[in-house]
Amino acid sequence: MMQTIGRPPAEPFRIHRRALLALSAAGLTGALPHRTQAASPGQVTYAVHISLAASWLDPGQTSGLITPFLLLYALHDALVKPMPGTAYGAGLAESWTASEDGLTYDFVLRSNALFHNGDPVTADDVKFSFERYHGANYADLQGRVASIETPDPRHVRFRLKQPWPDFLTFYGGATGAGWIVPRKHIEAVGEEAFKKAPVGAGPYKFVSFNPGVELVLEAFEQYWQKPPSVKRIVMKVIPDEGTRLAALKSGEVDIAYSVRGELAEELRKTPGLKLEAVAVQGTFAVYFPEQWTPSSPWHDIRIRRAVNFAIDHQGINQALTQGYSHVTGSGVIPDMFEFYWQPPKPEYNPDKARSLLAEAGRPNGFDAGFYYCDSSYSNIGEAVVNNLREVGINVRLRPIERAGFVKAWGEKQYKNLIQIGPGASGNAATRMESLVVKGGQFVYGSYPDIDELFPQQAVELDHAKREAILHRMQQLVYEKALYAPIWQLAFLNGVGPRVGTSSFGRIPGFPYTAPYEDITLKSA
Amino acid sequence: MSITTTTDVAAIEGPARLGLFRSRDFPWVPVLIILTIALVAVFADFLAPHNPEVGSLSARFKPPFWLAGGSMTYPLGTDQLGRDMLSRLIYGARVSMVVGFTAVIFAGVVGTTLGIISGYLGGWVDQIIMRITDAWLALPALTFAIFLAAIVGPSEMNIVIILALVYWTRYARIVRGEVLSLKEREFVRLAVVAGCSKWTIMRKHILPNVVNSAIVLASLMLGVVIVAEASLSFLGVGVPPPKPAWGLMLSDGKQGLMVGYWWLTVLPGLCIMLMVLSTNLLGDWLRVKLDPQLRQL
Amino acid sequence: MRQFVLKRFGYSLLSLFLLSVTIFFFVRITGDPATLLTEPGASEADIAAIHHRFGLDRPLVVQYVLFIASLLRGDLGQSFYYQTPVMELYWSRLPNSLLLAAVAMTFSLIIGIPSGIIAAVRVGSVWDSLGKVFGLLGLSLPSFFIGMLMILFFSVYLGWLPSSGSGTALHVIMPAFALGWYFAAAHMRMTRSSMLEVLGSEYIKLARLKGLPQSLVIAKHAFKNALIPVLTLAGINLVLMINVAVIVETVFAWPGIGRLLYEGISFRDFPVVQGIVILGGTMIIGVNLLVDIVYAVIDPRIRLEA
Repeated sequence: MMQTIGRPPAEPFRIHRRALLALSAAGLTGALPHRTQAASPGQVTYAVHISLAASWLDPGQTSGLITPFLLLYALHDALVKPMPGTAYGAGLAESWTASEDGLTYDFVLRSNALFHNGDPVTADDVKFSFERYHGANYADLQGRVASIETPDPRHVRFRLKQPWPDFLTFYGGATGAGWIVPRKHIEAVGEEAFKKAPVGAGPYKFVSFNPGVELVLEAFEQYWQKPPSVKRIVMKVIPDEGTRLAALKSGEVDIAYSVRGELAEELRKTPGLKLEAVAVQGTFAVYFPEQWTPSSPWHDIRIRRAVNFAIDHQGINQALTQGYSHVTGSGVIPDMFEFYWQPPKPEYNPDKARSLLAEAGRPNGFDAGFYYCDSSYSNIGEAVVNNLREVGINVRLRPIERAGFVKAWGEKQYKNLIQIGPGASGNAATRMESLVVKGGQFVYGSYPDIDELFPQQAVELDHAKREAILHRMQQLVYEKALYAPIWQLAFLNGVGPRVGTSSFGRIPGFPYTAPYEDITLKSA
Repeated sequence: MSITTTTDVAAIEGPARLGLFRSRDFPWVPVLIILTIALVAVFADFLAPHNPEVGSLSARFKPPFWLAGGSMTYPLGTDQLGRDMLSRLIYGARVSMVVGFTAVIFAGVVGTTLGIISGYLGGWVDQIIMRITDAWLALPALTFAIFLAAIVGPSEMNIVIILALVYWTRYARIVRGEVLSLKEREFVRLAVVAGCSKWTIMRKHILPNVVNSAIVLASLMLGVVIVAEASLSFLGVGVPPPKPAWGLMLSDGKQGLMVGYWWLTVLPGLCIMLMVLSTNLLGDWLRVKLDPQLRQL
Repeated sequence: MRQFVLKRFGYSLLSLFLLSVTIFFFVRITGDPATLLTEPGASEADIAAIHHRFGLDRPLVVQYVLFIASLLRGDLGQSFYYQTPVMELYWSRLPNSLLLAAVAMTFSLIIGIPSGIIAAVRVGSVWDSLGKVFGLLGLSLPSFFIGMLMILFFSVYLGWLPSSGSGTALHVIMPAFALGWYFAAAHMRMTRSSMLEVLGSEYIKLARLKGLPQSLVIAKHAFKNALIPVLTLAGINLVLMINVAVIVETVFAWPGIGRLLYEGISFRDFPVVQGIVILGGTMIIGVNLLVDIVYAVIDPRIRLEA
């Protein structure tokens, strides 16, 4: 069942039943040599790789994953959000200032910002949206904000309890708290109705949603920036990669998300189709949970270094992601994050790996147990395990289904080697917090010299000084071979011939097509 | 609708079974195929030219030797990680056979036992077992398997257990049906009158006579189980890589199918087909020989 | 008779109860939905908030009682992932699954029965061997393999059929074929062996002796009798078909129940998994009950023994 505004829903079968039976009885309809489904002008159809969840239509419930933003950028708008060229792009706020002491943030709203129902975006809505937000990090956010003042409809002032240098990062980028929803409308129709038919301030309006199947959006002509050039967007959920590519090739969809491996190679070779890769904020590395245990082989830094030299980063990059992934050498921090420190480039040298192993007393390699990984990324795992076995480190791949993996990982149940792929938004500090520093959710052990630096940077308001501390921390991580970095994943997508600008890769680290208002179709 | 007498059923044991080998229509080809696959599985270490689990990235997607770009180094080509297909197929025989046979045997043992107990003892024992079977069957097999894999994680052993747990109910129902009609037979009644205990009767009289059905069912299930393993791998919960199971190779290679690397799927597919073909032909023949009344299988 | 029916009904309820308890607790062992709705590294507070929102922080027994209470009212709860009532999701997808199963079953009978008959009538000939080969192909090729081959051929190369989704008759052709293929082979085998059985029977021999032409013999007598076991098998297979449809639904992005259940498991969407399993289970158990009753009506021994 769908809630529709405008167009009627597509029914499971339109053709009269008898004709249906006749057709199927006749087997294949041999006499129909036509292109299936001519694409409608002014419409862009997407093949989406994951099932679209209803909660992604509502900024009040964003979860900390990047996927909800796929829809948020289309339906909604924020005061400040990552935009082309900057992590703090002006959205609904035309300008903002922070006070010297870091306790007050003032925003000035645009006069021409409207919701889909015609109501103007006011300071009241901003306050309401913040208080309504109950997604990831909401307790943290609400705990740090002392009060929100709305002196007039176009001015909002946030007062913090203590200086918090990361306020804008969380308010604008990492959470949905700064994405504005209309208070009057929600109070009028109620939360349930709003969730079924969301109203926002973004470039596209909600038309219909068939959960797990299809989402239809229509251009919002009064969008403050400009009316979008593509009038209609249809997102179809197609979970199988091969099928997505087939749909792209046959012209049924114009954009296909996530096309990997040899399918990506095929995409490149197909005339008319383009492969567009985005290096996202997901970094992959091999973690050594046993490095703090003296009896474990992983305690020896030479063996950890050997793993570093054994991985054929570029080879795997070429094989799995057509060379688009960034082999940065940083295990857990993507290169577009604030406070990123560039380590020396990783080197692939299996001989050196073997000699390090020999030095460490294992000239013939050793049986290294299991290599745990999230099964959706087992292709990466397979390649790395392949490399490790080539130098004599005999690990066995253990792909675990996502939910189970994350749970066991967080509960510190894994030993030997773990392939991690954190993708949360934030900056270098937030990644350090959960993955390196003592007390972090996925931290199996820590080093005191790194730990003591962390609280120092948390209160440092001077940007340059803070950066220096965070750089030092990352340098220590590198020197101690805490991780063996693999890469920063590239998200590969296919774009069909009808699309002019796809908007892929315009916002650093963002895997999907945004800003939506900039997407264009080539004139026929 | 053919009728078998009591003596017929009771007599096909011992020496009579061995006589089957000498029948005119003994299916030599299928049996030879199965034996070959079994031998390949056992001697994989000597037969395979390369390590099936380690490959070199520079040798990815090489085609079989008779195509341009192929060579005798990798006679049947390589896969997405540069692993030799021939070696993987050879070792895959081992994995698929082990998984297939073990699962079928486990399922058979559990299902037959429960079927006999349920059918013979009747009463509330029967009801409980049947209710459990009902509830079990109400859970869709494939998704039940995904469920279990989600809880215990995929590994070769777990897949065997999962497949066994999914398919035991087939045996139970059919065996129970058999037992219900066997119970009324003269030789069983005689045994009861003679004072044999329930367990003795089940063991000595019932069991040997349902074994035939179980064997036929097992031969038919083998193919089903191997294909089920392929389907589980497709959904991401089958035998974990890099172990080469034919089903896994089939699902690994499906992306390659789209781009023309046909050998990644067609070759393991052919192996599966040969295996299923042979076991089914053997099962068909056994069914006819052991008890014509088993046509409903 | 009444006692029999009541007894059976009681047992069915017991099965259902067992099923509900099993699925309820089983599902909760598989993991925590909160870990999937948040990025690794989410704070305790976030996870706790999600638990509270879904009522997962209450004691298990309480959760179960609440679950049963709303179940009896016809409310299967709300999907964690889709924020929609499970019933709504189920009913929106059910027609698709039924359509797919119906077309696939029709196809499997249309292909399976005639080929089985031909193979039986011409037993030992080329046709029979062809039939056997077809039968084995059906059993030994997984549905996803066939599906992918078809998409490659008919969507990408020829452009005749849409590769995924639903909406028109064209959309249902390939998924139904991929799904029905295995069953076509199974029905063919059953028809063949059943036909052979009937053709070899006394009754048919008599008809032949009477001088009736071969085709009449087949059409009137053999066919009808041979059909009974096939149709019984088809009935059993319909349930199986709906259950294995998940693979075809994934390959073709067909919006059916199978995929909904699979996604529910992947997302640890407890209400969806519970709801679908119980609804599906109810149907199956209900059908079993009906079949048992019908058999009891036909054969008195059964109801006495029970």
